[in-house]
Amino acid sequence: MTKIFSEKDFGKLIQRTLSAGVFLSLFFFFLGFAFRCSGSAAAAAFALRTGVTVLMLTPAARVTMLVYGYCRTREYHFALASFIVLVLLFVSVLL
Amino acid sequence: MLILYILHMFELNLINFPLLVTFGFCIGVLGSVMGVGGGIFIVPALVLALGIPIHQAIAVSLVAIVATSSAVASVNIERGLANMRLGVTLEVTTALGSIVGALVSGLLAPNIVQFLFSITLFPVAFSMFIKGRRVLKHGDTLRGPAGMAAETPGGVFDSEFFDPAINSRTAYRIKNIAPASFLSFFAGGLSGLLGLGGGIIQVPVMNLLCGMPIKAAAATSNFLIGVSAAASAFIYFRKGYLIPELAAVIVIGVLLGSFTGIYILYKTRSEKIQIAFSALVLVVAVMMLKRTL
Repeated sequence: MTKIFSEKDFGKLIQRTLSAGVFLSLFFFFLGFAFRCSGSAAAAAFALRTGVTVLMLTPAARVTMLVYGYCRTREYHFALASFIVLVLLFVSVLL
Repeated sequence: MLILYILHMFELNLINFPLLVTFGFCIGVLGSVMGVGGGIFIVPALVLALGIPIHQAIAVSLVAIVATSSAVASVNIERGLANMRLGVTLEVTTALGSIVGALVSGLLAPNIVQFLFSITLFPVAFSMFIKGRRVLKHGDTLRGPAGMAAETPGGVFDSEFFDPAINSRTAYRIKNIAPASFLSFFAGGLSGLLGLGGGIIQVPVMNLLCGMPIKAAAATSNFLIGVSAAASAFIYFRKGYLIPELAAVIVIGVLLGSFTGIYILYKTRSEKIQIAFSALVLVVAVMMLKRTL
């Protein structure tokens, strides 16, 4: 039996995606500063850049979840709008 | 393709680290309360106080806006404040405008970008003052007539939310999607060009044009400006303008402030804060303009 995907479930999915991205990026930021304090400049730089990248990819992850969610709720026009936004984000990475 | 890294002599130390975190905290609170990304304050502060070149300041600001948007939106969605359907629809043109803005910014000399930023702050300060005064005097009349709260939303964009400040549910109907989408392109363009979140355009558009209550407009603006900021942030990142260390420390403060600001937005009126900070924005505008000329 297919589980019903309610508005509440959808909201939770988006909320968790955003929270995960934010907390993961924070983890890398604090890791980067920890490396810096310990004197590992290269590791610190890598961790900080990773944190920034994760943070910048969080909206893309959120939009991906919107595509998925709107497909599940069969609101295909919103799924299409979300997909267009995702494509634009992908284009911005390449520019 | 060669990536040119612009190295700026910015050094994080025990003195500026807590100051920058505190500054980011204040920006986060203001941003989530007023429905703006904080770029209005971040860019001038980095340029005027730290002497960071404008393009690098914009890059840091955009990353901070992504952080604010993601943090605040995660809570506002849970509370039913942010209208995801309207947000997604406006994101299409906002993201497009943001990409165009970032590309244009890269072609302009720093002093021109700085000049554009400073003159943009004047109408921003004016609109913040006018908006705050009007709502304080007349109330949030765009909630609609008294019976509106009892109506069930009808269209796909229509919605409602529980407002603890008035202890009741507020329903609203959305209109003028097409012109709102058109104006959102320019909001995105501002984001990419000047490192502003675009919320300073998005909130009035959604409030005045679409008929959305101010709190829902601020929440929905927070929801969608993250995408426009991310779209342009990638472009600045690839051009090598981003200083990861500075971005990280600002983001830490901004996130702490954003979570604090979420609770202030939910329970209080932001109009008084808007009026107070319209004066600050005006002062900053003058300082930025003086530095450019």
